[in-house]
Amino acid sequence: MIHSLFLINSSGDIFLEKHWKSVVSRSVCDYFFEAQEKANESENVPPVIPTPHHFLISVYRDRIFFVAVIQSEVPPLFVIEFLHRVVDTFQDYFGTCSEVAIKDNVVVVYEVLEEMLDNGFPLATESNILKELIRPPTILRTVVNTITGSTNVGDHLPTGQLSVVPWRRTGVRYANNEAYFDVVEEIDAIIDKSGSTVFAEIQGVIDACVKLTGMPDLTLSFMNPRLLDDVSFHPCVRFKRWESERILSFIPPDGNFRLLSYHVSSQNLVAIPVYVKHNISFRDGSSMGRFEITVGPKQTMGKTVEGTVVTSQLPKVVLNMNLTSTQGNYTFDPVTKVVSWDIGKINPQKLPSLKGTMSLQTGTPKPDENPNINIQFKIQQLAISGLKVNRLDMYGEKYKPFKGIKYMTKAGKFQVRT
Amino acid sequence: MPYYGSEETVKELRRSLSNPNVQADRLRYRNVVLKVIRFMSQGLDVSALFMEMVKASATVDIVQKKLVYLYMCTYAALKPNLALLAINTLRKDCTDPNPMVRGLALRSMCSLRMPGISEYIQQPVLNGLRDKASYVRRAAVLGCAKMQTFQGDTEVDGAVVNELYAMLRDLDPIVMVNCLRALEEILKHEGGVVINKPIAHHLLNRMKDLDHWGQSEVLAFLVRYKTRTEDEVFTILNLLDSFLKSGQPNVVMATTKLFLILSEDFPNVQMDILERVKGPLLAICTSEYHELCFLGLCHTREILRSLPGHFSGHYKKFFCTYSDPNYIKYQKMEILRDLVNDENVQQILEELQTYCTDVSVELAQMAILNIGRIARTYSERCVVILTGLLGLKQEHITSAVIQTFRDLVWLCPQCTVTVCQALPGCEENIQDSEGKQALIWLLGMHGEQVPNAPYVLEEFVDSLKMETSATVKLELLTAMVRLFLSRPAECQDMLGRLLYYVIEDELDMAVRDRGLLYYRLLQQGVEEVKRVVCGPRSDPSLDIISGQANETVNAWTKDFNTLIPIYGQEQWDRLTAQKGDSLEILQLSAVKSDETGTNPEQREEMVLDSGSVRLKTSAHLSAEQFEEHWTRLEAAKVVTLDWHKDPSPDAIQSAFQFVHIQSVAISRRGAQLWKAYLFARNETGSLFLIELLIAKDKGDIQVTIKQENSSEELLNNFTTVVKSIIQALDERLDLEYISVAAGEECSPN
Repeated sequence: MIHSLFLINSSGDIFLEKHWKSVVSRSVCDYFFEAQEKANESENVPPVIPTPHHFLISVYRDRIFFVAVIQSEVPPLFVIEFLHRVVDTFQDYFGTCSEVAIKDNVVVVYEVLEEMLDNGFPLATESNILKELIRPPTILRTVVNTITGSTNVGDHLPTGQLSVVPWRRTGVRYANNEAYFDVVEEIDAIIDKSGSTVFAEIQGVIDACVKLTGMPDLTLSFMNPRLLDDVSFHPCVRFKRWESERILSFIPPDGNFRLLSYHVSSQNLVAIPVYVKHNISFRDGSSMGRFEITVGPKQTMGKTVEGTVVTSQLPKVVLNMNLTSTQGNYTFDPVTKVVSWDIGKINPQKLPSLKGTMSLQTGTPKPDENPNINIQFKIQQLAISGLKVNRLDMYGEKYKPFKGIKYMTKAGKFQVRT
Repeated sequence: MPYYGSEETVKELRRSLSNPNVQADRLRYRNVVLKVIRFMSQGLDVSALFMEMVKASATVDIVQKKLVYLYMCTYAALKPNLALLAINTLRKDCTDPNPMVRGLALRSMCSLRMPGISEYIQQPVLNGLRDKASYVRRAAVLGCAKMQTFQGDTEVDGAVVNELYAMLRDLDPIVMVNCLRALEEILKHEGGVVINKPIAHHLLNRMKDLDHWGQSEVLAFLVRYKTRTEDEVFTILNLLDSFLKSGQPNVVMATTKLFLILSEDFPNVQMDILERVKGPLLAICTSEYHELCFLGLCHTREILRSLPGHFSGHYKKFFCTYSDPNYIKYQKMEILRDLVNDENVQQILEELQTYCTDVSVELAQMAILNIGRIARTYSERCVVILTGLLGLKQEHITSAVIQTFRDLVWLCPQCTVTVCQALPGCEENIQDSEGKQALIWLLGMHGEQVPNAPYVLEEFVDSLKMETSATVKLELLTAMVRLFLSRPAECQDMLGRLLYYVIEDELDMAVRDRGLLYYRLLQQGVEEVKRVVCGPRSDPSLDIISGQANETVNAWTKDFNTLIPIYGQEQWDRLTAQKGDSLEILQLSAVKSDETGTNPEQREEMVLDSGSVRLKTSAHLSAEQFEEHWTRLEAAKVVTLDWHKDPSPDAIQSAFQFVHIQSVAISRRGAQLWKAYLFARNETGSLFLIELLIAKDKGDIQVTIKQENSSEELLNNFTTVVKSIIQALDERLDLEYISVAAGEECSPN
């Protein structure tokens, strides 16, 4: 299925390769480089590239291209998902998935890849199970290993796959039994010039960290389960029970996992937590332009908007900007023409604003496209869709676990047109 | 990359590897091995260390073992003799008490990729199949497949195949999926693993135990299963229903494909399925990973081919955000274009309009072209928008708008007046030749409605010397002649200058010939020119557009969840055609007429069994025998087909040969009464005789088929095969014919 994998950094060096089915020469990547050159921006490289004998399927994450070489008729989504899984695994193992991290841990990388695929077919991809086969490197363990000469490899096979519940290993034991759930919602929106919503959607996930002894059976119920549109579950969730009672009932995997992801789309009205007042104008023939942005909260149910960052890509004719902000710092990069304003917390009593002038290249007509404004923010203790967990119960074990639920809302692709 | 100084490095590494002090210290030994691997991964050739590395594999340290195995797998093909030394160690490891070591050794041994290895690995693999640890069994099952690859095209070992089929019942789900994968590879030449009823039901029952990679693959295998009864279909649909809402995009896609194919005969059920899959598919389209979005969008377009309105209610999901990469924006725009209906047309047009001013030139032009496509149904609104864009006076925008206008005027003549009003002034903002061509064409065609048309064209005529593109010049000639007919007084002088320049000074042959052609035509008198240049025009493209919508769902289900939706059928054929030889294309197109929408591999199978006729690959019949049979048998079928070409014996012979129909005798090209005699034998020994007859100047071909053992069904199947080939040949010969005709003209007779 997957013949080879090449890791390519953004300057076009192949810094790691691994072959499974047959050795495919590095020269196959020339087709990829050609496409990369044509795309001029790394993000625009098409994910599927045909070559005379193979197809190259690539994903671009953390400034690295993961290029899989496939030969036969393969479902493309399968390969792409697998590549993303590889990246996730690296992140899981090394904290970040950067070229440096991969090069430093080249041995673990090879070991992991070897276990993930055999003959080009995916084998062990659950991070739970992988980690038992190959223990992730930690600073402490590296030190211990150097002294004692012991290894990173687990010397017994993971028993997980032989238990009745394939995603959970048997004989889990904890001194403190805890179960934490994070409800994280990302809001994607496009707001038009006049401030009305062109498109808005909430993508939510519930990530769990469960450290419970034995074989606990959990049920989680919501105050308003009808809110959820498209729900997709971790395989542990009993689907029938959800369909009939709208209750999540499951035996959790051990450790961190994603319990479910969902969408709340435009059918239910999506609340927009911030608004932007803007006035960006270029005058024909003048060498000055006005730039003015004010950001304020709305529909936040009394919670504070934090970590606010406003970025905007300005037209090429802008040479420099001279701005003053009432709060936070701003930077303007004259090469990429990106202005970025780090606001932090928004105080509803004193709205932050950024005003000033732009100096423009003289003699050029005024740009025909107005810049877009992208906003990032975070709101703690609020799920913007209004989703609320009702209760969490545990069956099958005697002890009383510690339970916790946290809500958070973040901006996804939140964009304001001017 | 340290390619330089590699010899020094290798020498040093060798010294450390063979140093007994290092070997005694486990930690130091491993670190040296690690260093070797590091160099290897940087692209340095360290194959010279093979001997030392083999020695290093005899250790209790698993990490070191892994590293050495990795090294061996990389270099074994280069050093087959030395690799044999390693095999002993590996075989010993295959009996290690630790299952992990056993599995590892088995896996590495099977990946050594060198000739002659199979005799050494056969026994360990067979032992591995019966190992009690599932980890080892997994490796062993795939090992069987690898072994088959080493042996190349030798006989498939029946015992192994049976063993693998039996192991489909293994307790470990991954072993089961690996069995399927291995069987698929081993039996590749026989059409892959066979899914019969017990296997299919077994797989269905095991589905929930599998990881999602396995699920998606099993779903793909289940597509092969032919259900017997309606009940069975619905049982399977019910059983797998929850997978349609799986969290994994690949499982969703695989399930959708399986469902659509299962319910092939129930269009209503198919609609239900597509309705249910809408949510998950939209979720893929808005996924956080661009690559997944892209493929989701490609498949959405596939669905829109048969259900144009399917996602209309969700059109806002396809609005582009600033951060989307271009390849996603292209897909989204095309989807938006297809989703337009009376309710959302306003919003979609407004959205597309904002893309028209994008920084990326290609993107902006694409947006304009897409507005042009919408204009075919909502012409008034779109023309207003397009005219507005002209006001921006940007070169790439103006050029794209004018090109869109050209197509629009051709397809929707009712907007001609508005378009013509917008034209004046555009010529200042057009620099590229496509835009110029479009503008010139418009001015020539509808010059009578544009007051300053002659003066615009005059500028082009005056700057002709500077023009580099021959197509622009050709277009200018035609436009000038056309405009001359409608406004002779203003154009006469200009046309004269143009013709003079073209005939006297032009270097491009085509342009000069065209100039001469018009010059001679003008000598025939104005009436004659009018008759030729402004003859009645037909709009064949209109049919194509109206006929484009609403294909059946079954037309694309087989391609769903493959690479084809990314490229579209036509481009895919072109891509794969480059890979196969040209004969294959001919033969593919021959079958295409009755089997559209199968992927190339499936089509190949189709041909080999030629619609269940199953013709023998090699059959012999001498001319005398043929004659004897021919006179003895009655004509079983006589059909007459369209035929416009002069037949080329070689093309016909090779085309028929590809579906295993042999030729006995063929007349030479250009004969008054052209005849060809062909025959074929199918696997049961039934003989078919064919006569092709073309009388000159008749425009059809008469096909007479005779059959030895009469069987109605076989005969019908055979006739369709022959027909489709002839039709394909008829279409394909076009080009060839032209080139041959041109060749004959040049020859002395």
